[in-house]
Amino acid sequence: MSYPLMLVLAAQIVLLAGMVLCGLLSSKDARRVTAAFGGAAAALGLLAAALAISGRYPGVLGLWRLPILGQLRLSLDPVDGLFMLPLAISFLGAFWSSGDYLRRYEGQFDTRTLGVLFLALFGACLLILTADDVVSFLIAWRLMSGLATFPIILEHRHDENRRAAWLFLAMNEAGIIAVTVALFWMVALSGNHIGFNGLANGLKFVDAPLHWVLFLILFFGFSVKAGLVPMSSWLPTAHPVAPASISAILSGALLNFGIYGILRFDAIIFPAQMVGPGLVVMMVGAVSALIGILYASIEDDIKRMLAHSSIENMGIIAANIGMAMVFASTGLPVLAAIAYVVAIYHMFNHSSYKTLLFIGAGAIDQHAGTRDLNLLGGLLRRMPVLAALFLIGVLAISAIPPLNGFVTEWLTLQNILRSEQLASRASRVIFALCGTGLALTAALAVTCFAKVYAMGFLGMPRSVGAAEAHESGKSTRFAMVWLAIVCIALGLGPTLLIPMIDRAADGLTHRLATTALVPPFFTSPHGARGFSAGFMHDFHNIGAGVGRHIIPARGLVVLHQGGKSNPVVYAMSTFYLAIMLMGIILVTWILIRGLSRRNIRMAEPWAGGLRRLSSDMTYTATGFSNPVRVIFKSIFGHEQRENSRTAVEGHFRTAIQRTLDADYIVDRLVLKPIAKAARFAACLLAKIHALGVVNAYAAWLFLVLLALLLINRLW
Amino acid sequence: MLGWFLRGLTSPVRTTAYPHSVDTSPGNTPGRPVNTLFTNADAANAVVAACPTQAISLQQLTAEVAAGRCVHCGVCSEGGMHWQKDYRWAVRVGRPGKLMSKAFKSSLHIRLVDAGSCDAVIQEIKQLSKPYYNMHRLGFFITPTPRHADVLLVTGPVTGHMRLALQKTYEAMPEPKWVVAVGGCAISGCVFGPSFVSAGGVADVLPVDVMVPGCPPPPLAILHALLLLTNREDELKPEALQEVMRGKS
Repeated sequence: MSYPLMLVLAAQIVLLAGMVLCGLLSSKDARRVTAAFGGAAAALGLLAAALAISGRYPGVLGLWRLPILGQLRLSLDPVDGLFMLPLAISFLGAFWSSGDYLRRYEGQFDTRTLGVLFLALFGACLLILTADDVVSFLIAWRLMSGLATFPIILEHRHDENRRAAWLFLAMNEAGIIAVTVALFWMVALSGNHIGFNGLANGLKFVDAPLHWVLFLILFFGFSVKAGLVPMSSWLPTAHPVAPASISAILSGALLNFGIYGILRFDAIIFPAQMVGPGLVVMMVGAVSALIGILYASIEDDIKRMLAHSSIENMGIIAANIGMAMVFASTGLPVLAAIAYVVAIYHMFNHSSYKTLLFIGAGAIDQHAGTRDLNLLGGLLRRMPVLAALFLIGVLAISAIPPLNGFVTEWLTLQNILRSEQLASRASRVIFALCGTGLALTAALAVTCFAKVYAMGFLGMPRSVGAAEAHESGKSTRFAMVWLAIVCIALGLGPTLLIPMIDRAADGLTHRLATTALVPPFFTSPHGARGFSAGFMHDFHNIGAGVGRHIIPARGLVVLHQGGKSNPVVYAMSTFYLAIMLMGIILVTWILIRGLSRRNIRMAEPWAGGLRRLSSDMTYTATGFSNPVRVIFKSIFGHEQRENSRTAVEGHFRTAIQRTLDADYIVDRLVLKPIAKAARFAACLLAKIHALGVVNAYAAWLFLVLLALLLINRLW
Repeated sequence: MLGWFLRGLTSPVRTTAYPHSVDTSPGNTPGRPVNTLFTNADAANAVVAACPTQAISLQQLTAEVAAGRCVHCGVCSEGGMHWQKDYRWAVRVGRPGKLMSKAFKSSLHIRLVDAGSCDAVIQEIKQLSKPYYNMHRLGFFITPTPRHADVLLVTGPVTGHMRLALQKTYEAMPEPKWVVAVGGCAISGCVFGPSFVSAGGVADVLPVDVMVPGCPPPPLAILHALLLLTNREDELKPEALQEVMRGKS
């Protein structure tokens, strides 16, 4: 048994102790117990992840032996470690902030149950990552899925919350049932071997149609959990309904399991030998990203907007995985390695800033009384620390340098530009279209989050709750500081992170990404593998070696090279950019303060000389996003109905009511047609119950028996 | 299309060359009464009583005109007051040491605020940015925001409703800034005067630098005021000045 596994076991014990204590103590202490024990377990998980990623402590723990299938095993290999890292970061932040957040439920609901479920959920998540065979994987997944439903249904008194939780459970179950079918099919193909390492052997000689079928079932089954279109209907309904700490986990940690499934089964165990699957993944990713951000742009509820934004980010990760699969199957292993590394890096980024934003949204809900952006405003004055930390989250998610979102957004778009190295024209066209979609997504993301920050924090308060908001509690602030530090570290340290991910995902990347992306300007300044001495010399002249003796890294610049037909080098360094930015700000501040000899006169902002400013005069969030709503009208499908009441033979209108109806596009195009088809089929089949006459049923039984006997004979 | 083009080519330049030549367009200034020495007291008293805005006062036998109250009605000229067709009516008041630096000489940005006037002065100021007077060739521009303005041009007696807005506009202007009160109302309240709805002129609310009397002052007078403000009065040709003094117009 290896150190990482021991640490995970220790974390599970801590969680169990926490659950027991939670059950025994009173409600008031329950939230502190949850926060403390959960935080401790998350810290242990973080340590376990770090040790697992280093790859120096391999080990397997064998559990019970099943009759036909084999032994249930637990192990934590480096890829599991890569997924455990964002899980632990996210859960640490969520547990820490729940010490404060659960206070709002204290009078209404039993926070002890919530605490127990929260801790158990983390335990189930750790179990999924340690599972090394199909059966324990599925058991742990089911556990996670079920445990995640209960916190969603916490505010069960409203009908739509119950519906959201049922939709969550139903769609996740559908996904995992599909995955179960595919996985057991794979087990059968590999000779009843349920361990992950044995599965790969049986699939070497699978022919193309079967490969496609298995791939599609697995991919769409896991894309339900990952929240990719066309399986994303549950995300925008379920995530806003849950308490903010749980929403943070649902978005920041649990969605990663969908990606885990796609990577482990579609990429590691069952790599694509054809271009098709990769293109499918890429198209699904690009469409998800676009639809996710479009819906996020028009939302006024902060949590629903963040849920849609999660769909967008998962789309970007899926697009990267798709690109990697295409590059791997067309013989471009370096580009495939780069794309896999970027997908995993974006997953880290998403976990950190999405958790940060959800915790912030929960704090806003708790202290300003509302989640509706049309009723917020001016929170910068009332909650300055929260505003500053939320700003870091907003800048990170909008891909503003030098934070973490920028690194992966830049690398994603660079990967798409490498499509010119592909041979097939169809692939190049699809890459170009997906690239356009992703570029549009990046631009819309900035608009969306500019709206959130401006409407929520700047300007004048639009409601009494916002005008009287008070600062968030200490635990929330500390949790957000932790996540903000993670965001900044991920942004400033791509040259440290990329080699780490590359080494850990060895099975996928074959360690090719580090040499391609991070040239060793610090460790070997005079040329290295893949870079000529002249190139290194040129880059040194523009300062790529600055900081060589201080910082223990390979270099501080991330490169992306074009191919032979387009030998351009694109370089980016968030670290140097951050230093330059701080330097410029400092110098400007000194110049303004020091050299300005005139007196500075403070006066109010010019507002047209108006006597009184009211918040009615400012933009509403709905108005701010109206251009997006109008331009993409056909996607949103808004229908406006108008009712009016008239008087005096219809000459005067005394009341007008306008309602705007819209169905989520995925519901309109996927769920509702499927439901209609299912109902149609059911109606057809119901004709069997023709008159309720017993003779008819007997006749049907006889006919079916006859058919079965015939089939048995002829097969 | 061709006709329009040829018509444009054959049309003369319509912009006046003022201040580099004297402007002799007919009716470009209504003129105003000047201090007149009367021979008998009755005529003087008659003129004082006839002025509808009490702009004329008697100093022994000299009828003195308060320029800031005159509305150019012409009744006093029938009673014997001497009339002058001049336009150089602007007067520098207040802040004696604060001269405009050379930087503003040909680049002055003006913010116009109508503090409750009858709109006559505004119409005259509007002519300044139209093709005939075209103050842009002299470097004077109107800005919509006080943040970019150097000069605040105020018309009207500052009604109660506009008082706060005017003060906020002045506060929003960055230093250095000047105020020009244009029109009789802006100087003294004139026909509206201090009342329960208005102050008695801009000087009651803001520190004024240049005053231009008239009801309304012709565009030439306002242009002259801006040239006075920017210390460009000497651009007027001396011969032009002579002609104007002699009353030739």
